[in-house]
Amino acid sequence: MGEYMVFRLFLVVLTVLFSVPAVAAASLADRVQEHRLANGATVLFVERHGSPTVSAYISFKVGSVNETSEQRGAAHLLEHMLFKGTRVLGTKNYAEEKPLLDRIETVGGKIDRLKNLPESDPVALEKMRAELKALQKEHKQLVVKDEFSKIYAENGGVGFNAFTGKDQTTYLINLPANKLELWAAIESDRLANAVFREFYTERDVVYEERRRSYESNPNGLLYESLLATAFKVHPYREPTIGWGSDIANLTPDDIRSLYSRYYTPANMVITLVGDFHGDNALALIKRYFGKLPSGEQVPPVTAVEPTQQGERRIKVRFDAEPGLMIAYHKPAAPQREDYVFDLLMEILGAGRTSRLYRALVLDKQLATDVGVFSAPGSRYPNLMIVSATPRQGVAVSAIEEAIYRELDLLRQGVTAAELDKARRQITMSLLRRMQSNSGLARTLSSFEALGGWRYLEDYQQQIESVSAEELARVAQRYLTADNRTVALVGREGG
Amino acid sequence: MLRIVITTFLVFLLAGCQVPVNLGGQLRPDQLSFPALNFALPEVTRYRLENGMQVYLNENHELPLVNISVTLAGGSLYDPQELTGLSELFAATLESGGFGDLTPEQVDTELESRAIELSVGATDYSYQIDLSLHRRDLALGLRLLADLLRRPQFDAERFELVRHQMLEAIYRRNDNPAGIAARLLAEETAPGHPFGRQARVETVNAISRQDLVALHSRCFRAGNIWLAVSGDLTRGELDQLLDSQFADWPAGVPATPALPPLPEESEARILVADKDLPQTTILMGQRGISKDNPDMYALQVANYILGGGGFNSRLMREIRSNRGLAYSVYSYFNIGRRLPQLFVAAAETKSASTAEVVRLMLEQLQALLDAPVAEQELSLAKESLINSFVFAFDNCHAVVARQVRLDFYDYPQGYLEDYRRNIAAVTVEDVRRAAEKYLKPDHLQIILVGKSELFVDSLQQFGLPVKQVDL
Repeated sequence: MGEYMVFRLFLVVLTVLFSVPAVAAASLADRVQEHRLANGATVLFVERHGSPTVSAYISFKVGSVNETSEQRGAAHLLEHMLFKGTRVLGTKNYAEEKPLLDRIETVGGKIDRLKNLPESDPVALEKMRAELKALQKEHKQLVVKDEFSKIYAENGGVGFNAFTGKDQTTYLINLPANKLELWAAIESDRLANAVFREFYTERDVVYEERRRSYESNPNGLLYESLLATAFKVHPYREPTIGWGSDIANLTPDDIRSLYSRYYTPANMVITLVGDFHGDNALALIKRYFGKLPSGEQVPPVTAVEPTQQGERRIKVRFDAEPGLMIAYHKPAAPQREDYVFDLLMEILGAGRTSRLYRALVLDKQLATDVGVFSAPGSRYPNLMIVSATPRQGVAVSAIEEAIYRELDLLRQGVTAAELDKARRQITMSLLRRMQSNSGLARTLSSFEALGGWRYLEDYQQQIESVSAEELARVAQRYLTADNRTVALVGREGG
Repeated sequence: MLRIVITTFLVFLLAGCQVPVNLGGQLRPDQLSFPALNFALPEVTRYRLENGMQVYLNENHELPLVNISVTLAGGSLYDPQELTGLSELFAATLESGGFGDLTPEQVDTELESRAIELSVGATDYSYQIDLSLHRRDLALGLRLLADLLRRPQFDAERFELVRHQMLEAIYRRNDNPAGIAARLLAEETAPGHPFGRQARVETVNAISRQDLVALHSRCFRAGNIWLAVSGDLTRGELDQLLDSQFADWPAGVPATPALPPLPEESEARILVADKDLPQTTILMGQRGISKDNPDMYALQVANYILGGGGFNSRLMREIRSNRGLAYSVYSYFNIGRRLPQLFVAAAETKSASTAEVVRLMLEQLQALLDAPVAEQELSLAKESLINSFVFAFDNCHAVVARQVRLDFYDYPQGYLEDYRRNIAAVTVEDVRRAAEKYLKPDHLQIILVGKSELFVDSLQQFGLPVKQVDL
């Protein structure tokens, strides 16, 4: 909970965002009930009465791209802190707790200021750390540990979690259908009355999360390094979790400012899928969420990534066998080229009959595996990334050469059969996702946060109309040496 | 622990009287009352074909999709020691090596051009085939499935390709600390047993295509087929397709080999594998139980309290939430389907706090042995397990696949019907007794993967033998 899943998020968003079939979209569009509260919150419902359960998602149109450079990691740490309770939950007595929280913040702030000064007195610092520890111990007596989690669990909730991405943040829970009001009560409380208790401890937890997902993981490290190289200007270059020194210096104010500015109905999408009645659920949502003040809309990111002028290349040394990723800048939805890229990426990398798998794994046997995905976000121009796992003893240069050769061939065009196959793969992957309440809720919630779920409706038409010639033109334009970033990892630095 | 939890509970009860903020007349979330949940266990149609194939069907017409899973007895538990890796190589070659009249490339094209997903895997006790398709491709899908089950080719080139992929995985097995730790723990807890064996270059190279053919003809018999089918089709459609593809498959059941007995458990010790990382992966484990053990319910509750209940568990509270020492920390009993499998506890922490986290984990294990759990902890664990039971049935394929699993592994009749009652019956004393019986610190194998020079000296405090392993 409070979990951070950048890989999962971008895969979900990307496969989903651009993958809805006409048939499914038509019947889905008929079944989605869309409402807007007076305060601006968007509400999406799909009633499904097959099992007495409900999936409840709340997404905000805010992610790590909306941080300033002084607050990198704040969106994600905020997500963690929103599991710590409110003025009502998580405390034995908030009135008694508040002064203690203030003192903790004062001492914690002093430590953070002092620890970065070259001439700071280590003895004084140690004393302050001891003081903080004592205050935290005292504070613990007033805390009801992880009370959201406790209440949801005893009521049968599963999958209580959240994830922060570059462009959006999502909170989710699955509950037995009779507990819908519990969700409304808890979630509206945490939007109105959140208390960021146990801040400094949670900051340490996030640092452990960073060590686990990036610093101790060759693929995580490779991916993080690739983004920081492919983007020079746009905030897509920064890790959502923050760099180590960012995390170590985040303040409660950094968190608070994002929370109060952007966690508001103007930026909020509520999605329910499952066994409920729309009218009752809407009345419930109005009652609990309707009183939240509207707030300001998240402004768009103004930074624009300049056109890349020449290949970039990075090597990362890590105690692991070699791996590589190659990234190309590309437009994002709803640009026409983005639909074309959806098909292009399928043809290149999806399945054993895809061009890269055939060439690198089956025919030349240079790699054990190869994949293609889009990252790191979906709202701003992003990347197509090719990843490959070289076979033992195969030079990375041989892999690169084989990949570039396949990209060259793509520029010469694809067959009608390949296009058909790609369209079908995309359509079926969305249908499969819709089998579960949670999958459908996640899809709708994510689409709506990124620009409107109705985008799904014309998706099929868009991909149906992509021709082999158009695909070849897009490949010619974007899959060039000047537009690529190559990142290598391994014991020799890749 | 006991004291803290009781205090928490009292506050919980009294909280309504001291709400410090205006809730606009609304109740605290935990004071709400709810209507009863209408829930009945879904019915699954079960029947047996004349040749012995078992069929389980759960129709669902919401989306135009059909899912089919096939389970067959077999699996890696029965791989000969000198051919360790056989089941994995078999499954991957069965999947990709062509079948019926189609070459591997033709199979790939048939499947992918229709976005049909087909995969074959091996577990300890079974082979498992999963097929997912659009209903318009149902007839084709069943024909391909029949070809795979009855007429696989094990194409020689694909067989070599799969072998190479397995060798590559061996070659890369030290890339990730979690993989290293899992491998070492398996070896430590079941030395010489299939559970503890790892495929090695020699064993993978010793496997021949003929071994796969022999395994297929031994296991893949009509009487060994358990089909779980769900989605947008009717019983009539299914029966007609099954009849056309399988009616001429003669009955026959493979002999069931004896389960290889587990070795004695070794004494507790610490294994340290050196890898230059900023964080240590901590994995500890010992032999647990199988599903035939009546203490299974008490142990599930015990484990929820210890490390299975997420933020409501002691390990998470003490190590993550109170001290910020880890992001992920948990425990579980892998309740063996036939043989006892492992109890495991795991965490990752920065190198400098390695010993501290090991100590905290051991303390929490010991606390479960030393003192009875609080009534409130017990009740939370039970409520959570009971009230979330409904989620076992929220996906139509999961429903039918579970029913197959229960019958395939001979779970007692009424297992599902009685599950909530069995959990509800667990007492504080049951938890203590089960913990005492099945948590065995004397046999705990502790695996640490990380930058060992930064923590190895601090391990002396545990009074356990410490062994450095070369990767």
